Amino acid sequence: MIRLDGITKVFPGVKSLENVNFEAKAGEIHAILGENGAGKSTLIKTIAGAYIPEEGTIHFAGQERKWATPKEAKDAGIQIIYQELMLFPELTAAENIFIGKMPRTRFGTIDYKTMYRRANETLDSLGHRLDPRAPVRDLSIADQQMVEIAKALIGETKLLVLDEPTAAISGREAELLFECVKLLRDQGVCIIYISHRLEEIFSIADRVTVLKDGQNVGTHDIHELDRDKLVAMMVGREVNNIFPPKKTPNADVAPVLTVRDLRAPPKVKDVSFDLYAGEILGLAGLVGAGRSEVAHAIFGSMPRTDGTVTLGGEAFNAPTPRDSIDRGLGFLTEDRKGEGLMILLDMAANVTAPVLSEFTTTTGLDRNYEVQAAEDEIKRFRIAVPGPKSGVYQLSGGNQQKILFGRWARACRRVLILDEPTRGIDVGAKVEIYEIIRKLADEGAGVLVISSELPEIVGLCTRVLVMREGSVTGEVVSTEISEETIMHYATAASADAAQGAAR
Amino acid sequence: MSEVSAKATEKTTQQMALLRQFSVPIALVALVATATAVQPSFLSPNNIQDILTQTAPLALVVLGQAFVILVRGLDLSVASLMASVAVLATAFNATSNVMIPLIFASAILVSAVVGLINGLLVIKRNVSPFLATLAMMIVLQGIRFYYTQGAPSGSLPEGFRFLGAGRIAGIPVNVIAFTICFAGLAWLLHKSSFGRKIYITGGNPASADLVGIRSDRVTITCYVICSVMAGIAGLFLMGFVGTVDNWVGRGYELDAIVACVIGGIALTGGRGTLWGAAAGALILVLIFNIVIIMGLPVQAQMIIKGIIIIFAAALFAKAIQA
Amino acid sequence: MAFTNTNRPTRRLPLDPSLIVVALLLAAVVAVGFALSDRFGTTRNFMNVLEQAAALGFASLGQALVVIVGGIDLSIGAVVTASTVFMAGVVDLHPALMIPMIFGTLLFGAAIGFLNGFAIIKTGVHPLIVTLGTASILNGTVLIYTLQPTGGVPFWFEEFAYGRLGVIPISGLVMLLCFAVVWFLLRYSKTGRAFYAVGGSPEAARLNGIQSNRIILMAYSAGGFFAALSGTYFVSRTGVGDPRIGDPMTLASITPVILGGLVLGGGKGNILGVLLGVFLISLISNLLNYMNVSTFIQWVIQGLIIIFAVSIYVQKCKKL
Repeated sequence: MIRLDGITKVFPGVKSLENVNFEAKAGEIHAILGENGAGKSTLIKTIAGAYIPEEGTIHFAGQERKWATPKEAKDAGIQIIYQELMLFPELTAAENIFIGKMPRTRFGTIDYKTMYRRANETLDSLGHRLDPRAPVRDLSIADQQMVEIAKALIGETKLLVLDEPTAAISGREAELLFECVKLLRDQGVCIIYISHRLEEIFSIADRVTVLKDGQNVGTHDIHELDRDKLVAMMVGREVNNIFPPKKTPNADVAPVLTVRDLRAPPKVKDVSFDLYAGEILGLAGLVGAGRSEVAHAIFGSMPRTDGTVTLGGEAFNAPTPRDSIDRGLGFLTEDRKGEGLMILLDMAANVTAPVLSEFTTTTGLDRNYEVQAAEDEIKRFRIAVPGPKSGVYQLSGGNQQKILFGRWARACRRVLILDEPTRGIDVGAKVEIYEIIRKLADEGAGVLVISSELPEIVGLCTRVLVMREGSVTGEVVSTEISEETIMHYATAASADAAQGAAR
Repeated sequence: MSEVSAKATEKTTQQMALLRQFSVPIALVALVATATAVQPSFLSPNNIQDILTQTAPLALVVLGQAFVILVRGLDLSVASLMASVAVLATAFNATSNVMIPLIFASAILVSAVVGLINGLLVIKRNVSPFLATLAMMIVLQGIRFYYTQGAPSGSLPEGFRFLGAGRIAGIPVNVIAFTICFAGLAWLLHKSSFGRKIYITGGNPASADLVGIRSDRVTITCYVICSVMAGIAGLFLMGFVGTVDNWVGRGYELDAIVACVIGGIALTGGRGTLWGAAAGALILVLIFNIVIIMGLPVQAQMIIKGIIIIFAAALFAKAIQA
Repeated sequence: MAFTNTNRPTRRLPLDPSLIVVALLLAAVVAVGFALSDRFGTTRNFMNVLEQAAALGFASLGQALVVIVGGIDLSIGAVVTASTVFMAGVVDLHPALMIPMIFGTLLFGAAIGFLNGFAIIKTGVHPLIVTLGTASILNGTVLIYTLQPTGGVPFWFEEFAYGRLGVIPISGLVMLLCFAVVWFLLRYSKTGRAFYAVGGSPEAARLNGIQSNRIILMAYSAGGFFAALSGTYFVSRTGVGDPRIGDPMTLASITPVILGGLVLGGGKGNILGVLLGVFLISLISNLLNYMNVSTFIQWVIQGLIIIFAVSIYVQKCKKL
């Protein structure tokens, strides 16, 4: 159905595609697997006509095509469901389903009656009921995904691409999605399914292509592969030795951070845990389970309605980020460019931002002292940056992340909350980040690692909390830690819990 | 081939950066050269003093506007505030120069309140800055006209004329005032930790909050600074013009924004220096002067202003995209 | 396959809540009017209000279309001014051109709007700045041409502003017609729905195969077109081209848009809300005139209404 030959796409400073060959057939589910930053998104945007590759050719339905705009690809029968859903919140579900090809009356106006009827039929055929007249903003994420899939059904869709469709939905909703996808495959649609969850791939895909650092590492039938082979293809080396050795912290002393009955509606319902100095504690769960919100509620960047927090033995309630920082609690957020890095400022200013008062004298900011502090962090974390006064925008994700580690490790020594600390950085830098995390714990900080990468949680943590829908549903210790047990707590409880959970 | 194109983009990026970096000095030199070519006496000490005297009130407004734009805002109420402050000054009906400090103090106080309201509307009510300040503009205008019933009356101490147009040892008084304000604000913005907080907030308010900076307070403070500077500028401009009407400073809101944009203060926030903003004011006044000495109608200034702001903003917008 | 039904269709209000808010406000103002003045509640007065609302109605309609696609047009006032001067100036010299000049003026407005849209798309500069720049250029040009009200049109042209069809003012009728047509197009045409899509999320619109740039150009052209219609109305009313007449229109055109529940940043809102907003503003002004409140205080009230309007709806607007 689609064949890519020698596709190369270059961005200034951003990882891209290099000479990628790829082919997917009608009536198959073809999974594309790869770590964050491996080039998956670039690949699908190239297929979608949103990016124009520098080199290479695209054959679609037997013809060579060069898309100039997404519209051309769409008209040819390519439907993409992006990770961030491309819906219009103020338009109704039906209008979103028919966007660009709404049925018309003989006067050329939009035929709402027909549109709503057909939208209903389409959604019914997916076995999913929702009100086609409801504005999309009122729908749940799972419903919104169904709207995207319904879009694929009403057009002459030959190729459907799903980008990480299960990132934000829970187990049962995912099952439903898989059924729909298989239904479409059986109707002869070519489906490209992008994910980094191995379990899913084995339950749904017919063939798998692995991308790594913008290159195609290989395409295989699913039954030629097992988990280990896939992982080895993805990371390019044995998984075991990328993590530093684990150390069990001394649990006899009082915990450095205790959290009891934390509530921060709507995402955080009931969270309690202890964190010990020197410990690396994992916080796992599906996207949307409320993990980041727990961090925000503790740090004080999101209001909490209930619960007690003690930091180093002192009660620490109703804080602001300022209070948290002053007491030695730091928070490295998941959105590195949106919430962490200050791209307009130089490296030194990025390091000192949380503790400016330390660098303030009667005559203003002590720039020399600041530069010197930044130099120290460059040496300490081996940051590949020309100097403290150089910009941070052009640096690789790994080096940007190290700067943020410099910022928070310098400012806060008691507790560090790290939200997705290795998102979007390459494997080599990941190994270094893991070593840094280990070192910070060894120096006496309590570290809470939030991550969607289960191997990372498994490889790094001595204890793991699992969250589901705002509550901690399980705690896994030492040898019990595995991806299976974590996934069990993250999803399995849903069967009985969902009965009671009124939507 | 891909490497070549990547290098090419890099090269244009560098050229754009260079153009951006030196656009202000290049523009200044080019304008002075043009003006001298048209009118050889342009560089006479007297004319230079005149130009600086004309620039000072605008430059004072520009300094304040720069703070607001740096935190991703915009203040369209500055001109209306300038006129309101001038009307306020006449309200004292003072004749003695002794009253001048009191007039200044009350003008600054009123301006600060106006700035505080602007800032609170933007931060606490989440009103978009242009709308909040546009509303403030018309509210001030209404109050001012209602008070004066259309025609201001009341007298001003003689000293204002000296402040607005006088000279000390050949240096215009308002230029001295500007220099003092500039020194203070430049220290605040470029040397103090508060200045760093402004850049962090303007660059990205979300990350500012997450490093413990109260971006809301920083932003509100910038609105207050802007209004206070506009108030001070209003008094100096009133002294320069010598009379008070309801439209003192008319058009200064756009002039100030244009000056900031030419001077490299990015409308997207977090980028630009006070030096650039002040130079932008000087560039604008030079352009206005060239329009006059070339014998063009005064209104041509408006046309040129409109063209410049679109082009200057486009130049910097492209540079940021790259 | 047995899937469980997890999502029951929800009942929703038949109307946009913002429409209800503005309608209630309108009702309140009318009630206050009846209580305060016995001349207020007459058909004659309501017809006068409808007649006077036309200028604001046209300008707000144009502004609303720009706002729906996520923009803002601060050159509306300048386009109003320029079109009055353009029309009255040309017709004064060539009275025979009166009728062609109606179309000429509307085309002129649309062309200015098109240039706004073009500059915004090509430069990537925020619409606020581009349209502020355009306003300065237009106002400068007009003021070079004349500092005083100038030009003239044939006497019969005042029919547009003052003429009546029975008791109903022609200008008010034209305004209602314009709103009706725009409402219909926004709701029932493919392009109309695309306006909302582009305003809601330009990137999603692009990836869904909508040609955002074309929609944006159309919106700004319509903005200029309706501003010129507002200018045409002023020429009909005053008989001259006035180089200052449009100044208050820029801010004034935004107020009903916000009152009507449109969101700065785009993608949302019903054009009928804007019409109600226009009536609301016009009635308030009418009422204040009956109460002998000075123009100056009315300015203050206008500013406060804007702040009130943005405060009743939580505005999730893009900053700047």
